[in-house]
Amino acid sequence: MMSGDVLIKRSAPFLACLGLLFAWQVFSLALRNDSFPTALEAIRAIPSILGDKEALVNILASLRRMAVGFGLAVAVSIPLGLLMGRSRAVASFFNPLLMVIYPVPKAALMPIIMLWLGVGDVAKTLVIFLGVSLPVIYHSFEGAKSVEEKMLWSGAAMGLTAPRRLVRIVLPAALPDILTGCRTGLVLALITMITSEMIARQSGAGNILFNALDMGQYDTVFAMIIIVGAMGIGLDALFERLRARLVRWSEPQFDVPLSFS
Amino acid sequence: MIEIEHVSQVFQTSSRQDHLALSDISLTIEDGAFVSILGPSGCGKSTLLYIVGGFVQPTQGIAKMKGRAITGPGPDRGPVFQEFALFPWKSVLGNVMYGPRQQGIKHAEAEAQSRALIEMVGLKGFEDFYPKELSGGMKQRVALARTLAYHPEVLLMDEPFGALDAHTRTRLQNDLLNIWERDRKTVLFVTHSVEEAVFLSDKVVMMTRSPGRVRQIVDIELPRPRRRTELLLDPRYQKYVVDIERMFDDSGEAELRP
Repeated sequence: MMSGDVLIKRSAPFLACLGLLFAWQVFSLALRNDSFPTALEAIRAIPSILGDKEALVNILASLRRMAVGFGLAVAVSIPLGLLMGRSRAVASFFNPLLMVIYPVPKAALMPIIMLWLGVGDVAKTLVIFLGVSLPVIYHSFEGAKSVEEKMLWSGAAMGLTAPRRLVRIVLPAALPDILTGCRTGLVLALITMITSEMIARQSGAGNILFNALDMGQYDTVFAMIIIVGAMGIGLDALFERLRARLVRWSEPQFDVPLSFS
Repeated sequence: MIEIEHVSQVFQTSSRQDHLALSDISLTIEDGAFVSILGPSGCGKSTLLYIVGGFVQPTQGIAKMKGRAITGPGPDRGPVFQEFALFPWKSVLGNVMYGPRQQGIKHAEAEAQSRALIEMVGLKGFEDFYPKELSGGMKQRVALARTLAYHPEVLLMDEPFGALDAHTRTRLQNDLLNIWERDRKTVLFVTHSVEEAVFLSDKVVMMTRSPGRVRQIVDIELPRPRRRTELLLDPRYQKYVVDIERMFDDSGEAELRP
């Protein structure tokens, strides 16, 4: 049996979405503008996109690039961030480099990358890689830096060598921070995925969106926005569940310690 | 046997000035002795412990364990810190098993040993709890069990009960003595509490305020096993406490709290 509180908590996100769609519907009916279809029209266009084999292949290709870019970025960024957090030499080498890259919108690099690598998968995956890397490096770095020294000493006394301490103590201790970075990275992966396809139009979800815009198919444009938005919400929710499971030990759900001396 | 020979330690402060934390410390700790290092805060007593642990390299001098120079941490010297320093992602059992597993002991055997140790420190039933779910006193019990689990020859205790309330501290002092009296490991125990040092130790090393020097070594000749309630009424115990406090007072080393 679900209690009333849980029911309200569970249904709140859906109610919020419904409210948003309702507001959209009311505004578009009031404005009566061709380039602003109603929510219902946009939703009605979704099945035809998802039913179209070519569109589906395009969307799946986007997701694949996003997964590859995200996966590679995480695989490189976590070790780099952890090393930077534990070694002043590594940090002082990479920090200035990252400071320069950090404020540059990764999509702005797309023209150069296209020039070198073409408009294919490699270029787009690279942009996603760059977009994801920085938050993951930053949070891994911060996490590794704040690992309690005495915890590492305890490990050293047990006979763990420095590389093993990095893997067996710094990594798990920094995991809550790392996963926060990955969550930001996941959303950035989606954003850079769409922007890269918007610049290098050849295939993908972004391509469908902007082609529809060029041809004035506004219901398709808005339908794609809903699809991409839903993908973002879905991926984020999935990741959040994974994250919560992995770092259950650090969640503040047991704020009141058991009294026992 | 631990030998500390002419050890000095210089730190650089944040304003880039040299700060002499320890000055020419020489000390010998016999096997099986319970030795407390007692001094006001900031006298470098923890630093001395870290040097023996191999976590900090002395600026000058040398620390030896069984005649060999200490160059780094090792499982023969097990630290217990005031901050507990438990692995928060591991359960109580996981924390205690960590050392034995690291030393290649089979899972089943390590688990059996660890469960026995957890029971010994009074935490039976809490094996699957995470550190987050435990009180300070319980955390320090886990930390002690975790260190005992890999059988160090020397226990290095860095103000282990300093963060605990008075009642919990008393209970843990009693339990530590009971555990210690079973196997009489060498213990190096850093504290700023005169009572704690006298109650627990065979020998109290009194240190001076910064820079830390050995001021005097007091042998505590009180019978063991010691019972706190009996000891508090024992005039010999009271004399040790008062004498040591006076010695600190005379030299202006106030700020020593019970």
